[in-house]
Amino acid sequence: MSARIFTRTNPSVLKQCLTRTGATPSLARSAVPCASLFTFRSPLEAPTGKLYEGHIPISPLQRTILAVGSAFTALANPLRGDMVAALGETTSGIFLNRIRDQMLQDPEGRRILRERPVITSETMQLDTLRQLPDGTFGREYVRFLDDQQVSPDTREPVHYVDSEELAYVMQRYRETHDFYHTLTGLPVTVDGEIALKWFEMAQTGLPMTMLSSFFGPLRLSSEERERLFNVYVPWALENGSTGKLLMNVRWEEWMEKPVEDVQRELGVRPCPEV
Amino acid sequence: MSSLLARAVRTGIRSPLSSRLHQPMAAIRFQSTEAKAAATATEEYDVVIVGGGIAGSALACALASNKASSTLKIALIEAFDLSNHIKWSPRPDQYSNRVSSLTPKSVSFLKKIGVWSELDSSRVAACEGMQVWDGVSGARITFDATDVDGVQSSFLHQVFSGNIPTPPGVNNSTNQENLDGSKEASPLAWMTENLHVQYGLQKQLVGHQARGVKLDVFEKTKVQGITTEQGESAQPQGDWPAVQLDNGKTLVTRLLVGADGVNSPVRSFAKIESLGWDYSQFGLVGTLQIDPSTSTAPGQGKGIAWQRFLPTGPIAMLPLNNGYASLVWSTTPKIAQDLKKLPARDFCALVNAAFSASPAELEYLYKNIGPNGEPLVDFLKEIEWRTSVHDQEASQTMIRGGSSSQGDAKPPRVVDVQENSRAPFPLRMRNSSSYVEDRVVLVGDAAHTVHPLAGQGLNQGLADVECLARVIETSLLSGSDIGNIHSLTPYSSERFLPNLAMLGTVDKLSKLYNTDFGPVVWARSLGLTAVDKMGPIKNEIMRFAMGLEEPSKRS
Repeated sequence: MSARIFTRTNPSVLKQCLTRTGATPSLARSAVPCASLFTFRSPLEAPTGKLYEGHIPISPLQRTILAVGSAFTALANPLRGDMVAALGETTSGIFLNRIRDQMLQDPEGRRILRERPVITSETMQLDTLRQLPDGTFGREYVRFLDDQQVSPDTREPVHYVDSEELAYVMQRYRETHDFYHTLTGLPVTVDGEIALKWFEMAQTGLPMTMLSSFFGPLRLSSEERERLFNVYVPWALENGSTGKLLMNVRWEEWMEKPVEDVQRELGVRPCPEV
Repeated sequence: MSSLLARAVRTGIRSPLSSRLHQPMAAIRFQSTEAKAAATATEEYDVVIVGGGIAGSALACALASNKASSTLKIALIEAFDLSNHIKWSPRPDQYSNRVSSLTPKSVSFLKKIGVWSELDSSRVAACEGMQVWDGVSGARITFDATDVDGVQSSFLHQVFSGNIPTPPGVNNSTNQENLDGSKEASPLAWMTENLHVQYGLQKQLVGHQARGVKLDVFEKTKVQGITTEQGESAQPQGDWPAVQLDNGKTLVTRLLVGADGVNSPVRSFAKIESLGWDYSQFGLVGTLQIDPSTSTAPGQGKGIAWQRFLPTGPIAMLPLNNGYASLVWSTTPKIAQDLKKLPARDFCALVNAAFSASPAELEYLYKNIGPNGEPLVDFLKEIEWRTSVHDQEASQTMIRGGSSSQGDAKPPRVVDVQENSRAPFPLRMRNSSSYVEDRVVLVGDAAHTVHPLAGQGLNQGLADVECLARVIETSLLSGSDIGNIHSLTPYSSERFLPNLAMLGTVDKLSKLYNTDFGPVVWARSLGLTAVDKMGPIKNEIMRFAMGLEEPSKRS
């Protein structure tokens, strides 16, 4: 049957190929119907060149190894920030796309994508924030940074996302993480971070947050786990899904507002029992 | 008293949309006796065609042009003014917004009934290629007229009809024409305005009338009701349908043809059910002015039809001549209404974006059309920004040539939209449970309605007409009653299945592409890419769409 098709199509199509000048590449393909049915990219070859500062183009095989490896390392030691970051990036795929699309629906989100603000100790002017009255978002944010002895500059840069814009989305997501702590009042403890991951999962659906949400609790004591599932998780799911998408918040402009106002405007209640 | 009653009945059935058209049948007898009294107003016909659209007019034309059926007494009834079509004299820079693609099969039928030669070739555009792609994933399929071997009929059809193809060595007389290059490959389709086809049809009809064919055209005439002539008095016409017109005349006919559109009164009269559903989509048509030099397709995209599937529905740009193109944009009812009101400048920007921007970006723009059609954000600026982000990423991704979308041809830019050419209409899928009843037959939209994404609606209608004319001719030659259901059954059995297959295919395509759900997008993109690379299968699809599935012996 297939032989019949070839004898029927081939001679005339090939001749037409030769006689017609405006021939498209599809002609050549149809003349050899099955030879190039699918052209898969080699799993060993990186798909792009360097797209942005810090970009490390990796092949699909490398991506898989990195994802699995970083997942285990991060589970063994959640404080390995680089591994948590690598896990997030290698598994983000179409989900970052979805966050970007959600940002494109929102005027604030579009402004962020267009202006691409970065959060560093310099752009945030931490010293100025320290002068703000107690209870304002900026003052509480700096207090949180000082307590944890971290700085916005210690964030791991994005390496493995193969799109300039999505890399920025990933970076923004990472840079705004500390504001979430201020907003929700959750501490930088293992159960606090896991609760925040549940909150983020309800917000963004990023696979990395799901992995942390489901496997993270394995590390907790039974007492902590009980509190997580009885108090934190219901709170996180409720507030994460009903609140405004925090990726669309221009945090830099909210620093002078009282924390309570910010919580009310974004539709997020502070986490109970912290 | 009885006349009063009859009057009430008549007003009751005046609305063609009334689904209960047949209900007052019992009372109709009063009127039929009343009509007997004024017998002068009743005329007998062999064929009465209700609906003077393209299908109805083409049937009248086909019957009149055929030797056997040209002796029939035919009536064509149309509510609007048909003489306008003959006077049609458009400016070369003006195109009507309703444009159809005519498949090679439809064109050969129009040639046969003498209509094609009446058309102005400068207003007919050959479609040499098609670019169809997925707006979510970017997967693309391209069709090229030169891919199709236009001589032999579809391979699948040859197998199913037992018409074993002759070996290439024996059959090379037909291939020869293509091989020596003297004969160009047939275009995939021809694009022209529906009004233009109507113009050709009406000219032919007038010509037939002039040479003495008994063809009466009742224009600006509405059908008030259809009844069955009953009673012992009208002996030979015992069961003939009687069509009451608003000019007081009653036409009694051997065969009643319903070419009266989606809400066919004839179909209601025959109590034929119409099955199907409304898509929650509207189609927006419009005439666009394009800048061909902006297309990256070979030959500046001349003669290429573009279609991109968006989650809200497909958008298509069909080629016309002189830097014009016709738009068919299927989308949600609300967006269609908003698009109609948008200022021309922003509308063109949005059309261009609809062929390139991400669905998310388009969604943002749709949301920012105000209640009076005013853009709430600067469309041009927003689109320009997203295009620059896109282009930059695309160029960087292509550095190592890994992207499959590399070298995808771009459609031409839309620079203007003709004033008042934007019009939305609802999209639906319908198929009548049957196309024939005793003395009643349905053609075109009255029998079936299809989503416009494959541009097949008019072609299906013309195929119906071609078949029905042939069936009527066969009955005449064999001396049987053309209105008898047994004479009409061959029409139904020949057309029902192909129409249903087309309706089903188009409906499934529409549903398949009406989502951006990840796994579905992945599967359909894989399928589309695979088909694009499998020549013989693609060839079969093109032949199906070009109407070449018919065996060659028929033509």
